[in-house]
Amino acid sequence: MTDTGVTASSSRSLGRETRHLLWTVTPGALWILLFLVLPSVYLMSVAFMSSGPYGLPQMPLSLDAFERLAGFGFLGWSPGNLYTLLRSLWQTLVSTALVVVIAYPVAYYITTCRAKWRPLLLLAVVVPSWTNQVIRSFGWMNLLAPGTPLSDLAASLGLISPHMGLYPSNFAVTLGLVYNFLPFMVLPLYSAFERLDVAQVEAAQDLYANPLRTFRHAIFPQTLPGLLAGIVLVAIPAFGMYVVSELLGGGKGMMLGNLVASQFAGAANWPLGAAGAILMLLATFLGLFVMRRLGKRLGGGEQVVI
Amino acid sequence: MTKRTLHRGLAVFWWLTLAFLYLPLAVVVLFSFNSANSSARFADFSLRWYHRLMGNEEILSAFGNSLMLAVVSSLIALVVGGVLGYGMYRHRRRRLGWLILVIYLPLVLPDIVFGIAEMAFFVQINEWTGWLSPGLGTMIIAHVTFQIPFVALIVYSRFVGLDPALFEAARDLYATPRQRLVHFMLPTLKPALMAAFFLSFTLSVDDFVISFFTAGPESATLPIYIWGAIRKGVSPEINAIAALMIAAVAIAAMLSLVFSRRRSP
Amino acid sequence: MSETMTADIADRPGSDPAAENSARSETRRQASSIEMQGLHKRFGHDTVALDGVDLTIRAGEFFTLLGPSGCGKTTLLRILAGLEAPDAGALAVGGRDITEVPPHRRSVNTVFQSYALFPHLSVRDNLAFGLKMRGLPAAERNARVDEIAGFIQLGDLVERRVDQLSGGQRQRIALARALVCEPDVLLLDEPLSALDAGLRGQLQVELLRVQQRLGMTFVFVTHDQDEAMVMSDRIAVLNGGSIQQVGAPREVYERPVNGFVARFMGHDNLFAIRARDGRRLTTALGTLDAEDPGDGALLLIRPETLDLLPGAVEGPNHLPATVAERLYRGSHAEFRLAVGDTTLQAMVSNRGRHLPEVGETVTVTVAPEDLVTLSE
Repeated sequence: MTDTGVTASSSRSLGRETRHLLWTVTPGALWILLFLVLPSVYLMSVAFMSSGPYGLPQMPLSLDAFERLAGFGFLGWSPGNLYTLLRSLWQTLVSTALVVVIAYPVAYYITTCRAKWRPLLLLAVVVPSWTNQVIRSFGWMNLLAPGTPLSDLAASLGLISPHMGLYPSNFAVTLGLVYNFLPFMVLPLYSAFERLDVAQVEAAQDLYANPLRTFRHAIFPQTLPGLLAGIVLVAIPAFGMYVVSELLGGGKGMMLGNLVASQFAGAANWPLGAAGAILMLLATFLGLFVMRRLGKRLGGGEQVVI
Repeated sequence: MTKRTLHRGLAVFWWLTLAFLYLPLAVVVLFSFNSANSSARFADFSLRWYHRLMGNEEILSAFGNSLMLAVVSSLIALVVGGVLGYGMYRHRRRRLGWLILVIYLPLVLPDIVFGIAEMAFFVQINEWTGWLSPGLGTMIIAHVTFQIPFVALIVYSRFVGLDPALFEAARDLYATPRQRLVHFMLPTLKPALMAAFFLSFTLSVDDFVISFFTAGPESATLPIYIWGAIRKGVSPEINAIAALMIAAVAIAAMLSLVFSRRRSP
Repeated sequence: MSETMTADIADRPGSDPAAENSARSETRRQASSIEMQGLHKRFGHDTVALDGVDLTIRAGEFFTLLGPSGCGKTTLLRILAGLEAPDAGALAVGGRDITEVPPHRRSVNTVFQSYALFPHLSVRDNLAFGLKMRGLPAAERNARVDEIAGFIQLGDLVERRVDQLSGGQRQRIALARALVCEPDVLLLDEPLSALDAGLRGQLQVELLRVQQRLGMTFVFVTHDQDEAMVMSDRIAVLNGGSIQQVGAPREVYERPVNGFVARFMGHDNLFAIRARDGRRLTTALGTLDAEDPGDGALLLIRPETLDLLPGAVEGPNHLPATVAERLYRGSHAEFRLAVGDTTLQAMVSNRGRHLPEVGETVTVTVAPEDLVTLSE
């Protein structure tokens, strides 16, 4: 029957329903509003203040922070911050692309295995991400330090100068990012593969015979929603990465997250840090927006933003 | 290229990926048993770093803090997020777009912005009122904030998967509002609540950035302690703590496997 | 208001056959009547689900709410259960006004369309749920569950898990779970609609048997007029949130009050009356004599009241016709006949006599007492 509106408003129960809505939803919503939305708004307002003693924000309002973020300091313009920004973008792009390239075959391989093994294989991919990211980066420090087999190998191939380790370096940061976010791409791709219409793939195999063209015409379009979801899950946190670049990157591997964080610690300048945070927020929402639009246009948009 | 060679190629790729995923963890565990103080050369098997851990007051208190933070924040998030998830379900026909936006915010905000915003805010409030001085309290508040959405979404999706007539059947069969909670909603939700608690706990233990920015001088957690130790210069003791944390994750993984097998025989 | 209702009901006990029937059977308690007065309900701003329903359901009756999807029958049932509150109007069960009583304090139980068995409980705990909520001790709960399990012949189903049950088994557990509470009124929301035809027929018979032995008041919702006719003591036909007709199955089928009820009961032979002269009614078919023509604007001719004579025969209520279509159904045959420039459906039982072929000229006859008129 369709004539049961269940919770639709009726004059007699409206007040009670509204009260119910309020007492169930208010605590959680208020918690997030009070301890996240309000702080974020406060942080954004800090970006428009001047930097006082110890870098703490103070009046008057100014756009100094944004000028300094763009590289204009007491000594004229310097490209340091711009490099950091470009490096963040570059690292995000490279690591996301690598993650996609690795995750596709892995996710596909899991779907070709017997159904009873699949949860175990998925778990095997996910478990490393349950360990703390500081420990994971520490593991890579151990592996890539000077004198380790991997570093010696790289040195003997002439990729790095002898007695230098593979870390700290931009390469180590890329590696760390790929390592961190691989599971976030495998999971959505796997669920896309699981829903894959096998008939279409088989038809394409008949039509094209070439695996690459089969992939392009039959598999890729069907897994696109999963891919977009994966990109959101990987690229957004990668752009805001702090731990990996701090531990594996050293001074020359700094990303935007490290620039922002350092403004609240050693080189204190809260307004400058807050301006950097605004940049990250803008990038986040832009990324979400673009993916949403893309997802809607390509169909299956509902799954894209989880 | 035949299907068979393709599959074989994929299998090779799969094992290489697994090696990539587990190599850093394996190295940490291996070197925690190294008798030499080196991360490049394995000398002899030894438990000396584990012995050192036992006597390290700082590490023991960091462990206590981690556990306390994870348990308390998960419990609070379970209650607040559970009620929120139920409210979202009960009123799903209303326009709750604003609420969804608020709930998704903690999920999409980069860690570092999340942590810094809370830190800056807590510092400011503390300056004005004296409340919210950095410590376990502020960390718990921050952790609950990112746990609530996960709990709410798990509870919500469990309810959505139920036949709506079940709620009416409970009312029809004489259950008072309290009895409906005790005899219908909680038992039906039990698996979802357990999953939500487990996830909240993992998220809390897994977090470093947000804890780092909201912590006080006395409330360092294990990841914060490890971070500090790494920055001071790598000590093999870190391998030992990290190996223990990896072991905890491995046990959790096996438990989750056993539970999921039992649920779907 | 409830005082007048009590008075109404006090006049009636023993006066209806269903109540007498229940007195002979193994009733545990007095069955209850239901009074509805001026029930209004709407959803949102413009969806009217109930538009002033007045209805009395007698104690011990098997009463069916029949109508198409969206007619308000389920809303009415949900108001009886207390799952929906009316915007206006009053509801009394057994003479007691329960309009404001929440569902968990009403002695009314429902068999849901989806059965709504609790997945986290065993079948036994499902059956005992209502008794447990009312605070019955475990021993008595078990005894009552065993008793109802014997009554509905559940056998070893009681010890199973809910996910091990088939659709028909779930249906019977859902029925038992509602009956074990011994409610004043049992509500059934299309309880058989999810089952296949064979099982459905079997459970219709079982439901009837249960109702007759318990003498409990059953309110049954369905959109299937055949099911309604088989099961019910009385039927209320609803459309657009209001009651069109209330009556025994024969009454509703043979003497529908308007075009909607007639069409919903499956009648196609409806003809606008163009002229009337005493008992002589003129339609597109021609002129026919009716014994009791009433004053309706439509003439209803039920297909099974028609007889077909071979060739052209003159006489009163005799109409010349040509066979346009014949559907042979074994026990009977259905005909589409061209009469003048309109068509008429006829149904003739197969008694081994000649069945006219397509294209054959025949004469249709109908008895004056079988002709009924009704309003549009």
